[in-house]
Amino acid sequence: MYALGLAARWVHLASAILLVGAATMILLAGRSDRPTARRWEQRVLAGSRWLSLVALASGVVVLAAQTALFEGRAGAAFELSSIARVLIETQAGAVWLVRFGLLALLAALLWSRLSVEGSLDWRAARGEALLLGAIALVPVAAAGHAAAVEPETARAIALDALHVLGAGVWVGGLLPLALLLRAAAGERGADARPYAVLAARRFSRVALGVVLVLLATGTLLAIANVGNVAGLVGTTYGRLLVAKLVLVLAALALAGVNRAIHLGQLAGDGPTVGRPAMRRLATFVAGEGVIALAILGLVATLSVTPPARHEAPTWPFATRLSFAVLEGAPGASARVFVGSQVAVLGLVGLAAGLALRGRQLPLVAGALVVLGAGVGLALPPLAVDAYPTTYLRPSVPYQATSIASGAALYREHCAACHGAGGAGDGPAGLRLPRPPADLRAPHTALHTAGDLFWWLSNGIPTAGMPAFSRELSEEQRWDLVNFLRALSSGYAARAMPATIALDRPWLVAPDFTFTVGPTSPRSLREYRGRRTVLLVFYDLARARPRLAEIAGRDGTLALLGVEVIAVPLHDARDAIRRIGREPRVLFSIVTEGAEPIVAAYRLFAAAPHVEFLIDRQGYIRAVTRGSGEAGDLDRTIAEVQRLNDEKAPPAAPEEHVH
Amino acid sequence: MRAWKAVVLLNLALVVGVGWGYVFWGLKVARLDRELALARAAAASGVEREWVVAGVVRAILPELDVLVITHGEITGLMAPMTMGFRAASPKIHEGISIGDEVRFTLRGVPPNVAVTAIEKTK
Repeated sequence: MYALGLAARWVHLASAILLVGAATMILLAGRSDRPTARRWEQRVLAGSRWLSLVALASGVVVLAAQTALFEGRAGAAFELSSIARVLIETQAGAVWLVRFGLLALLAALLWSRLSVEGSLDWRAARGEALLLGAIALVPVAAAGHAAAVEPETARAIALDALHVLGAGVWVGGLLPLALLLRAAAGERGADARPYAVLAARRFSRVALGVVLVLLATGTLLAIANVGNVAGLVGTTYGRLLVAKLVLVLAALALAGVNRAIHLGQLAGDGPTVGRPAMRRLATFVAGEGVIALAILGLVATLSVTPPARHEAPTWPFATRLSFAVLEGAPGASARVFVGSQVAVLGLVGLAAGLALRGRQLPLVAGALVVLGAGVGLALPPLAVDAYPTTYLRPSVPYQATSIASGAALYREHCAACHGAGGAGDGPAGLRLPRPPADLRAPHTALHTAGDLFWWLSNGIPTAGMPAFSRELSEEQRWDLVNFLRALSSGYAARAMPATIALDRPWLVAPDFTFTVGPTSPRSLREYRGRRTVLLVFYDLARARPRLAEIAGRDGTLALLGVEVIAVPLHDARDAIRRIGREPRVLFSIVTEGAEPIVAAYRLFAAAPHVEFLIDRQGYIRAVTRGSGEAGDLDRTIAEVQRLNDEKAPPAAPEEHVH
Repeated sequence: MRAWKAVVLLNLALVVGVGWGYVFWGLKVARLDRELALARAAAASGVEREWVVAGVVRAILPELDVLVITHGEITGLMAPMTMGFRAASPKIHEGISIGDEVRFTLRGVPPNVAVTAIEKTK
């Protein structure tokens, strides 16, 4: 079923694209009275007629396969009611309706025996075929992966539409052109040779522009669907895309040979044009066309493969390149800088060598050597060990509950060697071949979340680190990764002052869920983009004065867009009742869910009374440590005003650690 | 038939088809908008309504006959928040203290609503 659906997609795409290309090629070649040219036009038209029927029939098969997919059962493909439902109720169905209508009109136009004797009639009929073919092809963009790109869906659809249309002109035009060249290169084709040469030149000019558009839109779409190098080499979608790229390069190489050599050999007028040269060009163009059809097969496969962005990439290499390594390593930075400049020099030399005529070989060879030396100089310092899971995205978001369970797991499984505080000073670690890593150190930030996950799962045999893939579930291991991130960034945050550093957010506030009384749970995330949050951790026995101070400035804080969330250090269902009549506190008091929040935020600051100022994007910007005495709330309010005055709000952090 | 005539007819048919679809959807959207507006108006009209809401008592201001309650969503009236509500009678305050989790009845013509009954849930 899958294979049939895929084959139908391929046939459908190829026929829809060939219809556009055939019409384009006929228009480019123009009207002619030469018998060979007319025979060619009639052949292409006859092919188009049948292709229009093939496009309709294969479209029905694809739609049926899609229906089976949507309904989750193969039988639905044969039920008219199910197919009708898909047509009427889904966006893909709407696209199909429009396209079927247009394809039917196109088929009617092609099959009708219209008289095209006059020049006006000819242009109207052929132009209409191109118009209908193009607007029947372009809507596929609104039913493919581009329609699922977020954000900027409209931009992705527009790019895809342009890409598809470009493919129609270039890919679809190749085979008709090859047919024309072959007919003209034949023994009795002399009458159409000037016509064929002109057509080839016009097509070559148009194709150059179209290929540039295809490359540009294709690159932008690949970025939208794949995202990064890991997605390109680590997922099925990415690898298919690489295969497509290789085929595209092969087709472009043929095209380049045609433009640079074969087209030039067609110089001269009419009958003097060399038949062998034209036959060679015909063969090369046909080869290009065949490669293009193979590319369409890959495109059909890509269209039923989930885009790399939504897949977990498996990194296939033992190393990766990381610029983060260069921070605080001036020697390596200098080497990379020099190496990159040498490489650029090599590239310039290469470009010059290719552009110049004569003495090309030594220049190109020399440039390649320089380029290689530059790359060899620049890359090694950037290489970092990598693992299959290096670019895996954590399946557990960076949340207080996850960090808290990670902390508990850490105490149970890791503290013996890595030490209770993560300094690598646990009693059991002394006997290991290599001292356990200091998990608080900034270098922890150089490793991706996926690296940590790999070490947790598979251990580090040479260092004596055991593997935990049997003992701990995947979720537990991610909890540990989240805890380690909080631990090392908390260690870096131990000196964060009570004043904000303007425009320099770096400490992500872990999300958490809390409940006030019997109302439904809320999360920190809900305040993103709307409110600044003052997160207060208090111990009621000593914090009454401070709570009263904050409560007294309720109006000012609300006016400045501050939401106060107070978390008791000791989780208590009756936290509000305990505060009682005085002070009259009206801001949110967490009555449920305090425990994990305290456990996670304790890693950032541990004091009897702590207040975190969290900006609208979800970054902790300032920390006030105290004992619960009434202090100077005006200072906090001044910091909030500075936050409100920040010109460019920083981008919100992602839901997961990296 | 001459080809250019056929093509002109075809394109006319296309334009009519697109226009018809545009008008069809436009009319449908306009109708849905009207219905939505009507439904909104009905919700906001001067009809007395009643809600039963869960919340937690934050403050009691007997001199003003006001209860401050942190409550969940009140459908069609307000989002979850901490809010002062007028008590319909002074009796409402009796037996209620700060920190009590309650279920209270809110009645009135929005935005003039008052607490008409309140009971502890815990």
